[in-house]
Amino acid sequence: MRRRARVSLFGEVTSLSRSKAQAYFELRDAEGAVPCAIWLNDLEKLELPEQGLRDGAEVVIGGGPDYYPGNGQASPSFFFRATHIRLAGEGDLLARLEALREQLRAEGLFELQKQLARPRLPKAIGVVTAESGAARRDLLAGLRRRGWAGTVIWAFAPVQDRRAAPAIAGAIQELAATPAVEAIVVARGGGSLADLWAFCDETLCRTVAMLRVPVISAVGHERDSTLIDDVAAVACSTPTHAAEAVVPLDCHAARSALTRSAASLRRAGEGTVGSRSRHLVALARGPARALRRERIALNQKTREIRASSERGLAERRAFQRRLAAVVLSRAARRAAGAEANNRREALRRAEVAFRAHEPEHTLERGYALAEDVAGEPVTSAAAAIAAGRVRLRFADGGVGAEIDRDGSEG
Amino acid sequence: MSEQPESYEAAVERLEQIIDRLDSGQAGLRETLELCREGRELVTYCVTELDAVGEGLKELQLDELAAKLETTPTES
Repeated sequence: MRRRARVSLFGEVTSLSRSKAQAYFELRDAEGAVPCAIWLNDLEKLELPEQGLRDGAEVVIGGGPDYYPGNGQASPSFFFRATHIRLAGEGDLLARLEALREQLRAEGLFELQKQLARPRLPKAIGVVTAESGAARRDLLAGLRRRGWAGTVIWAFAPVQDRRAAPAIAGAIQELAATPAVEAIVVARGGGSLADLWAFCDETLCRTVAMLRVPVISAVGHERDSTLIDDVAAVACSTPTHAAEAVVPLDCHAARSALTRSAASLRRAGEGTVGSRSRHLVALARGPARALRRERIALNQKTREIRASSERGLAERRAFQRRLAAVVLSRAARRAAGAEANNRREALRRAEVAFRAHEPEHTLERGYALAEDVAGEPVTSAAAAIAAGRVRLRFADGGVGAEIDRDGSEG
Repeated sequence: MSEQPESYEAAVERLEQIIDRLDSGQAGLRETLELCREGRELVTYCVTELDAVGEGLKELQLDELAAKLETTPTES
């Protein structure tokens, strides 16, 4: 068995222990572990840095399978006999990281978180970070700068050893299961790729990718690229940036914007109502104004008509007067001839009649007129008796006569 | 409020639409008054939401929260 081909294995040292002659450990990766042993003599020859071989160290080991037959107290076992160990360099880690990155990308796990809706104003956020560290302080400062003062639920976890990845994954899952939490921040300061290796853990990254709560990663500095950055909804270079990503809304600016919006609404409301009110008032005044205008026009017409009619009347009167004068004069002229004839005829008839009644004419026919001394006619026997003496007027002259009362008749 | 907005961002988006519409001057009187009413409700909602995250940062620890939940008797 010891003649089998030598191979190199890559993994993380766990469960390191030492006996008098050997060092025992497990070489672990995401899929499992291999029990390993190295003779202390071989280990010393490697001249690893002090504490180079320790739990959590990423190493590349060379060796091959070996078998321990056991004894009265110990059970037999197969294990990997390491003859060479070196600490994994950036190159080893990067190669592993790239392979894992391609695998997760191919599975579409980079997109899942990025498709989640992120609230602009979460009321509660969860944060996974080290209890003591600048990341915690920087994140809080960033949140305060945005004017955000909601609820932060801290889930403190180790961020740099082999316990880190499972602890972080567990914390993230617990936070995601807390109903109030609307977004989760995973924050850690900068470091070497080996320091940040926990954030490249496949299980952790798969856990983050499958969460339905958005995760904002703020691991390391700008130049550091961990796998959790790829699967998270947003990757930030610093905790301060993470504060802006987890609360996208600048609360100070939002308050100012709301004040402006409220003012716009007030202006719009008042403006619309005001302009329409003015329009309505103008419309309401319209009929009155129109009536006044009509009344004025009517009065004007009335005055004109009156003036016109007075003028017309005067003219008509004058005309009528002229007409009457003309008619009268014409009538007078017309009447003048006939009237004169009539009058002449009437005069003639009157004259005839008058002449017929004239006492002298009667006297001419033989009658006599008795008159008293005063010349008044005496027309009755009684008057003659009373007069005693009368004057008898004949056509050819008068004579006095004594009334004989005895000779009276009647 | 006639209908609670789905979220702060939905409220702000609707508010911006309303202000754009009002600024266009094309809304009639009835629509303007209705938009103003809706806008005022949205502003009130947004201010309430901002107030909810503006009255002092509260810090809780997940472990303590979990412990508290575990000790809380389950409602039957």
